[in-house]
Amino acid sequence: MAQIIACYQQSKHNFMRSSQISIRRILLPLAILTTTTVANAQQTTVVDSALLQRVAALEQQVADQKPGESHLMIVGLTTFGFVNSKTTFKPGDGTSVVSKTNSLGDADRYELSPMFLWRHGTKWLIEFEPSFDGNTLGVNWANISYFAAPGLTVRAGYFVLPFGIYNKRLAAGWIDKVAPDPVGIDLPGSDFGVGISGGFPLGSMKWSYDVSLTNGLQLLPDGELQGSGITDNNNNKTVSGRFALLPLSNSSLEIGVSGLYGGVADAGSSYNNANTTMLGADLSFVKNLNPLLINIKGQYSVIKVNSQNYVESSGNTLYSFDNKSTSAFAQLSVRPVSAENKLLKNLELAFRYVNYTTPAQSLWGQNYHEEDIGLDYWLSWRTVLKFTYAVSHSLSTENIPAGGTGGTTDMNNMYLQFSIQF
Amino acid sequence: MKTSSIKKITWVIIAGTGLLLAGILNGCVESQKVAAKSGVQLWAENCQRCHNTPSPNSFSHDQWITIGMHMQTRAQLTEKEKEKIVAFLTQ
Repeated sequence: MAQIIACYQQSKHNFMRSSQISIRRILLPLAILTTTTVANAQQTTVVDSALLQRVAALEQQVADQKPGESHLMIVGLTTFGFVNSKTTFKPGDGTSVVSKTNSLGDADRYELSPMFLWRHGTKWLIEFEPSFDGNTLGVNWANISYFAAPGLTVRAGYFVLPFGIYNKRLAAGWIDKVAPDPVGIDLPGSDFGVGISGGFPLGSMKWSYDVSLTNGLQLLPDGELQGSGITDNNNNKTVSGRFALLPLSNSSLEIGVSGLYGGVADAGSSYNNANTTMLGADLSFVKNLNPLLINIKGQYSVIKVNSQNYVESSGNTLYSFDNKSTSAFAQLSVRPVSAENKLLKNLELAFRYVNYTTPAQSLWGQNYHEEDIGLDYWLSWRTVLKFTYAVSHSLSTENIPAGGTGGTTDMNNMYLQFSIQF
Repeated sequence: MKTSSIKKITWVIIAGTGLLLAGILNGCVESQKVAAKSGVQLWAENCQRCHNTPSPNSFSHDQWITIGMHMQTRAQLTEKEKEKIVAFLTQ
């Protein structure tokens, strides 16, 4: 009996001990788990609180921000280079005169133009581009646009007139395929006024319009036209516009027609209701024909001023001429964009032909043509190094009795130009 | 301003307005092929009409919206083209 009792007590003791060990084994991890969970919970609460405070601060910043404050961006471009020029002037009755020049900062090939784009929400946009061309600090455009409806943008201010494609889209150095601008393509330039523009689908095609009402051009004493700039020279206004059709669904082909009409005489001048009519046509074709990207551009313009009498340089005699000018350029560039060789795929070969004819028997009459060949290397999509060789020939058709000069002028220009957009 | 000039300008404005209204009325006429185009396709087709195609990381989200508006004034992109191209560049 005593043995049974002793055995029972021993078993009880063992059981109790075993139970205590088991409880410890369970409770210890439980305690650790509980402690960790509580700590984590406290940490999460702290993080959430900090996050909420941060979100609240950001919300306040957003609420304090006025539309437009963060929507000012500055882009722009710069173009600089070197031009080596040889000019051979041959008078009608004399010997040739040859002159050679070279320049790093030529006015026609240097440009620094920051562009300020400032949008207010998604309806208003201000575009302002001051420009330093090596001689003067001017303004290319400074206008405000209101995006009134799909396909209707209203703008006002100083802007590039809608005529042709070169001045508005292709003139920037980082876009242009050869170094110089086509001669005679600068008119009508920029002017003060109002305008509307937009683009619409038309089945698988699309079309666009760009129309403006501006102060207009100015007729100079020798019959040339120039942009009126800041000062309006008369009470007439000028209407100009361009309509374009993109007949292919992939937008590769664009055909545009342009027109301009307006008075050009200075107020109170002796000109007889002087006005100008400009007509133009342009074409753009860009197509990736693997492995080449083919890019064709062209523009033809006719500028006509109605019949006027002009004063000779002596100031005593009147003379007249058919004041009609034509300017044209045709351009082809090819780039092997799909080539595997990196050096090759960044090269672009460009050709351009320019023809510019100004009125015979004027003081600025000439038949001019120019051929350009260029090799460009694209360092990035907006950075280019260009080498262009240009040959031009000009035959003077000036009115010699009125003070003009005859003869021919031949030029050979070699350009090395760098252009970047940023 | 001479009466003849006013008449000419008036006719040009009327003609332009007529074309504009015709365009607006035709604005919704878009083929299924064109409507189905993606932003990346429109980006590839339209940017290279004037310049090389920019990569999406060239500008920030906000800047692309501004540039989209600027390009609409330059190249007369349609509203849908602009929206799809900007959406692609900002995604």
